Amino acid sequence: MSETRFITTQALAELTAELLAAGTRVVAPAEAADGAVDYQVISNAKDVVLDERMPRRSLRGFFQPPTEQVFTWNRTDSGFSLKPVDLSTEPWVVLGARPCDAAGAAAIDAVMNGEPKDDLWMRRRETVTVIGLACAAMGPGCFCELVGKGPADTTGSDILLRPAQGGYIVEIVTPRGQAFVEAHSAKFTSTDAEVQAPPKRYDPAPMDRIEAWLEANFNDEFWQELSLRCLGCGTCTSICPTCYCFDIVDEPVGTSAGARRRNWDTCQVGLFTLHASGHNPRPEQTNRCRQRIMHKFYIYPHRHDILLCTGCGRCVVACPTGVNLPEILTGIAGRAGEDTTMGGPA
Amino acid sequence: MNVYEPYLMTIDDVIDETADTRTLRLKFQDESVAESFDFRAGQFGEYSAFGAGECTFCIASPPTRRGYLECTFKSAGKVTSALRDLNPGDTVGFRGPYGNHFPLNEMEGKDLVFIAGGIGLAPVRCVIWNVLDQRDKYGKVTIVYGARSVGDLCYKRELQEWSERDDVTLWQTVDPGGETPEWKGEVGFVPTVLEKAAPSAETACAVLCGPPIMIKLTLPTLKKLGFEDDAIYTTLENRMKCGIGKCGRCNIGHVYVCVDGPVFTAAQLAALPPEY
Repeated sequence: MSETRFITTQALAELTAELLAAGTRVVAPAEAADGAVDYQVISNAKDVVLDERMPRRSLRGFFQPPTEQVFTWNRTDSGFSLKPVDLSTEPWVVLGARPCDAAGAAAIDAVMNGEPKDDLWMRRRETVTVIGLACAAMGPGCFCELVGKGPADTTGSDILLRPAQGGYIVEIVTPRGQAFVEAHSAKFTSTDAEVQAPPKRYDPAPMDRIEAWLEANFNDEFWQELSLRCLGCGTCTSICPTCYCFDIVDEPVGTSAGARRRNWDTCQVGLFTLHASGHNPRPEQTNRCRQRIMHKFYIYPHRHDILLCTGCGRCVVACPTGVNLPEILTGIAGRAGEDTTMGGPA
Repeated sequence: MNVYEPYLMTIDDVIDETADTRTLRLKFQDESVAESFDFRAGQFGEYSAFGAGECTFCIASPPTRRGYLECTFKSAGKVTSALRDLNPGDTVGFRGPYGNHFPLNEMEGKDLVFIAGGIGLAPVRCVIWNVLDQRDKYGKVTIVYGARSVGDLCYKRELQEWSERDDVTLWQTVDPGGETPEWKGEVGFVPTVLEKAAPSAETACAVLCGPPIMIKLTLPTLKKLGFEDDAIYTTLENRMKCGIGKCGRCNIGHVYVCVDGPVFTAAQLAALPPEY
C-alpha cells in the first residue's frame, strides 16, 4: 500500500480538533512545563508540536504505563474476591509519532502478541491509529539508518506524514490508515507533490555479522571494557522505545485489600535477576551491559527476526557517562571483521 | 481473564518438610477449573501470597493425582515468608501450568535414575510419583537423594514409603557431619553415592535436580557411568515474574527458562552460556 494524499497544516489542525471534539484520545508531541517536548495526551489541537524537536521519552508509556494495575483483591468476612482491571479500550490516535517510536512499539508486539497474548499491551496496540511524522532533520543522537531504519521509515505507522510545502504528503501504510483517511476524507486531497529526500547520517551496519559475533562472543573482553564506564543507572532502558521488561508486584492496602501492579523494570540493576538464595546469574555490571546489547542485537532478532533497537538515539544523549550505541555497534562490527567506516557525525 | 490474573486456590493442607521448608497442598476454588486443569511433570506455576506478591515454584505433586496441586518451598524471601504465614483454609493464587516438561513418553520402557539434592527433590518427586503411579510402563527405578543433614531431608514419609517398596531402589545420603546417631543411610556427597549405586546406563535416563554445585559435580559421574548428555535431564529455575516469556529476565543467552525450559538435557545445558 503506497497510496499518497496531501493534508495542509491547517487541515491537520482541524482534523485534530475534530478528533478531540468527538472525544477521541489523542497523544501527540507537546511542550511540557519546562519547554521541552514530550508525547502527551492532548486537550487542545493548538498544543500539538510537529517541529524538529524529538520528544524526550518514547511512546512506550502509552502502551505499557510505567505502573499499571492488573487486578485488585479484597478479603472480607464473606470471602476473598479478585477484581480484574477493565480491559476495554476505545479507539485512540497517536499523532506525530517519530518513525523510531512507531517502529519500537511494533517491534515489541512480536513478544507481547505471542501465545499466551499479553492483553494489557495488545489492547492498546489493537485500538490505536498511529500517524507517524517523518523527521526533517537528525537529532543529536539519531542513528536509525545504522540499524536499518530511517527518518521516513513506515514500520509501525498506519499513516506517515512527510513534511512538504504548506503541509504534509500523507503515505497510507496500513488498512487501518486507509480507513482513517477515508473516515476524514474531506481533510485530504490528492497530490503529485514530490517528497523530499530524508536527511542522512549513517549507512546501515552489518547487523547479520554483528548478530553472529554476539552469538559467538559471550565471554569476550569487550564486555568488560564496555561496562567500565556504565553506572548501572538504567536511564537507557527507561527512555528506550523498544525496552519492555517489567516487574509484577503487590501493593497492599492494610491487610484486607490491595492491588497487583505491573511496573517497568530494568535489566541494568542486580535485583532484576537476583535469586532468593542470594545467587545471581548476572552479578556484575559487565553481565548486565552485555544483556542489554545481547537482547537488542542477538536474542530478539534470533527469536523474532526483528532488531530490538530503532536508532532513536535517546540513550546516546541521556547516558551520563557517554555509553554510545553507534560506537558499540561500530566496535562490534570491527571485531566481526567488517569495514568500520559507516559514516556518522564528523 | 487477563494473562496475569491467577486462579484462586484454597490451602487444603500444610506439611513442614524441614525447619525452613514447607509443602502446601492447594485446591482450586472454581469446580470447573479443578476438573479441567491438567499439566505435565516438570511444569511450574506462579504462586501468589496476596499482598506480598508472586513466586515461581515447580508443581511438586504428580499430574497422575488430580484434584490438588502441591508446592514445596524454602522460606527465603518476602513472598515465601508470606506463604509460610498462611494457614489451611486461606486463599492463595496460582498461574500456570507454564513451561515444558519431562519427556515421560520417551522414557517409557527405560530404567530411570532420579538424583536430587535438598529441596531439588520437589520437581523430581513429581516425576517419581508419576512413574510409580504408572509403574508397569517403566523399567528399574533408582533414586539417589542427598541433603546437608538428616533434618534437611524433604518428604521424609515418602522416602520411608519408597525405601519399603521392592520396585524402587532408594539411596539416601547426608553430607559428612550431617548424620545423627540413628542414621542408617549413607554419609557422603551425592556424586560419591551415585557412583556406589552404579545404576546401569544402558537404556536408562537420569533426572537430576539440586543446587548448582551438586549438578556440576554429578554430571561427570553420570558420564563415567555411561550416561549420554541427551539422556540426562535437569530442571532450572531463574528469577521470573511473568512465567510466559514477556518480562525479560530469566534468559540464558537466547533461551528463556520459562518458555524453553525449565527442563533441559545436559546436552542443551552444555550449549548455553554460563549465565544461570
